[in-house]
Amino acid sequence: MAMPALIETRGLSKHFGGIFAVDRLDFAVNAGELVGLIGPNGSGKTTTINLLTGHLKIDAGQVRLRGERVDGAAASVFAARGVGRTFQITQLFSRMSVIENMLVPGLARAHAEKRVVLGEARKHLEFLGLASLETLQAKNLSGGQQKLLELGRALMLKPEILFLDEPFAGVNPYLRDEIIGFVKTLHEAGRTFVIVDHDLDAIQRLVHRLVVMSRGKKIADGPLAEVRTNPAVITAYSGV
Amino acid sequence: MLDYFLIQSANGIVIGVIYALIATGLTIIFALLKIVNFAHGELYMMGGYFGYYVITLAGVPPLPAVVAAMAISFAFAVAIERGLLTPLYSPGMERKSDYGILITFGLAVFLRNIAIIIFGPFPLRPPSFFDGDLVLGGLIISYDRLVAAGGGLLILVLLIFFLNRTVWGQALNAVSQSRESASIVGINSERMYMFAFGLGGALAGGAGALVAPIYSLSPSMGLVPDTQAFVIVILGGLGSVSGSIIAGILLGLSENLFIAFLPDPNRGPSYANAFGLFIMMLVLLFRPTGIFGRHHAAME
Amino acid sequence: MRAPDILLSLLLAGLAAAFPFLVNAYWLHVMIIGMIYAIIAASWSLLAGFAGQFSFGHVAFVAIGGYTAGILAVSLHVPLPLGMLAGIVAAALIGAGVGWTCLRMSGPYLAIFTMAFSEVLRITIVTENEITGGPGGLNVPQLFHAQTDLPYYYLILALLVVSVVGMMLVLASRWGLFFRAIRENEQAAAAAGVKVTRFRILACAIASGVAGLAGGFYAPYIGILTPDVASQDQMGLVVAMAIVGGVETLPGVVAGAIAVEFMVEALRSYGQWRLVLFGLLLLLTMRFARNGLLAPGWLAIRRLAVLQGQRLIRGTAD
Repeated sequence: MAMPALIETRGLSKHFGGIFAVDRLDFAVNAGELVGLIGPNGSGKTTTINLLTGHLKIDAGQVRLRGERVDGAAASVFAARGVGRTFQITQLFSRMSVIENMLVPGLARAHAEKRVVLGEARKHLEFLGLASLETLQAKNLSGGQQKLLELGRALMLKPEILFLDEPFAGVNPYLRDEIIGFVKTLHEAGRTFVIVDHDLDAIQRLVHRLVVMSRGKKIADGPLAEVRTNPAVITAYSGV
Repeated sequence: MLDYFLIQSANGIVIGVIYALIATGLTIIFALLKIVNFAHGELYMMGGYFGYYVITLAGVPPLPAVVAAMAISFAFAVAIERGLLTPLYSPGMERKSDYGILITFGLAVFLRNIAIIIFGPFPLRPPSFFDGDLVLGGLIISYDRLVAAGGGLLILVLLIFFLNRTVWGQALNAVSQSRESASIVGINSERMYMFAFGLGGALAGGAGALVAPIYSLSPSMGLVPDTQAFVIVILGGLGSVSGSIIAGILLGLSENLFIAFLPDPNRGPSYANAFGLFIMMLVLLFRPTGIFGRHHAAME
Repeated sequence: MRAPDILLSLLLAGLAAAFPFLVNAYWLHVMIIGMIYAIIAASWSLLAGFAGQFSFGHVAFVAIGGYTAGILAVSLHVPLPLGMLAGIVAAALIGAGVGWTCLRMSGPYLAIFTMAFSEVLRITIVTENEITGGPGGLNVPQLFHAQTDLPYYYLILALLVVSVVGMMLVLASRWGLFFRAIRENEQAAAAAGVKVTRFRILACAIASGVAGLAGGFYAPYIGILTPDVASQDQMGLVVAMAIVGGVETLPGVVAGAIAVEFMVEALRSYGQWRLVLFGLLLLLTMRFARNGLLAPGWLAIRRLAVLQGQRLIRGTAD
């Protein structure tokens, strides 16, 4: 029997008023994958992430984590089970220090020991180049540093899968390369990623598999080269 | 029994119109400044006293005194806005929502207590608009109540006309929808905030002046309308002046019928205020951010 | 704890122990009332300043604690200490219930809801006079049969120290970290694995329970409990105390509460002007010194002291 997918949805649906933001989506990510999720504005990408991390209630369908149903669980349950995420607009604990931002997810884990968590937090800050900013309040960081801190905070969950919502939006080219480097390193260390972004160039440099959504539906899913030449994708993007 | 029902209904409509006046002011302030004015009931109280002193000290007849009370309340509210609320507009200000809550709450405590000193703790009653009662079969209603309801409705009609048909009204509306786009078309949004707070104060003050001959004035008279106005705003939908009017009249009516039909006559009047609050708690439970949830999400 | 903090704590402990012998009975009474307010204001700060839930119904839990102890003692002859304990439990449970009810509310909505809760409770106490004594008040038996307030003083001192130190320990623990994370950003806290529902309710329960403790002590100390304990003016006084002290430092809030209560009494001859002054104090503090007056003041004094100390050590005369 095959291993169940790390995270999987069946018939996932969500509507706001009369509009289906996500419409019967079937989608699976296996452990160790690095998947890009793209689509025009309003195609349901962020809604999908919100549904897959417990930040929105599902209207219909299922979400399975390693084969086990988790739909309906709170966001904190997803986090506790190793599902990390970042947000389209960076969401930090502004009036708390950098290290405190890192400690929150660390100490929220079951049986977390403060000394160990502190060590992990410092290690991640070192990795992200934020070590010298430890005592600064998060609101005083630059926009780029805030993005990195948000990534670092997600890492403190020891996540198996990380959803990054537009990590390259509003980021200068230098930081963009840096983030690509971080994701590659973390992926090589065994982490699974799903990345939503409009920066197709950055996505192409990173991912092996591309999923394309349009109007709440999945219209393409496969290896990068294949999806790029898919006529349905070209139609969706040209807006015809 | 039917007569009693009629009288209670008429009283309910009168107080409902007054509630509507207070609530529309609260709505306008929230729509523009994005704060809930916890001192709104105290502006209503001050308006009542302004009217009283215009009558007793300046010898102005009761009806024009209502207009004078509104004008003074407007100026008073503008002074408050200039003195306390301008930090809300600076872009660097943190936790604006907290600031708005605490500063207006502090203002309410201050006004309530300074009113005791200036106006005294004992109820004051200005002269009637017109003496006597209107008797229509079983329905008996004092002329003062008729004037309060009529005056209140007139103010509301003028307000709706003002908001929809005048340049200033439309500028207010524009700023409430988007401060940025409004400033692009040349509207000075800070002046609109000032004006909105003044207008809210004038409406509350007018309400206070209108009910003064019916209920008398006391420094703590703002406490109940303060919370009732929130009920109405939440029921009627924020930014919706017509919603506030309908919800205000409905609340006044249902409160009075509640008193009329509570089996225990001693407890009825006492629980009448709790009744409106209870309705509000239920509304908040089922619509936790009120009808204006989306506005709140954009706050801060 | 740093050296100046330890020194100051010892100094304060000595002063607190000796206080009853330094003042007359009147000022001892004022101090006791000030310490009751200190407990209420500190617990409000935990809820509002740290957990970010601006409740304007906090005094309702003081009433719940007081009336539970009082009614149990008067109607059912339950011993007072047991009644006070029941008051704490009742306040914490009802607080948890209110916290659960307003889980989906924040900012002004939560403030309005809690204010309404408090008013409904107050009106109920006024109306149900067969049980509560109504507006005339409930006569609560004494806790101690002593000639002076001395036993009350040491009891409230102990309760103040235990509750404030206890809350400070909670705030310094991971619970406190989660409270602040939820205050800053509920969505991000959930994404970070914080059980938002649990900790929001927990913050309400702790703060309400501590307020209930203050009420449970207040009832037998004063001997007569009126619905006014849950009035909005009382709430205003508590908020003023916390804001003046600096809402994000509990020792600052305690100092703020005691200082404000002493000012209230010192200005007694000015009658009604007192509450006006406190309203004004609250307004001016919010308007011009949002971090409070006392906590930043203390920090400045300590910085100066440390600086002077360093100069002394270096032995320079610049």
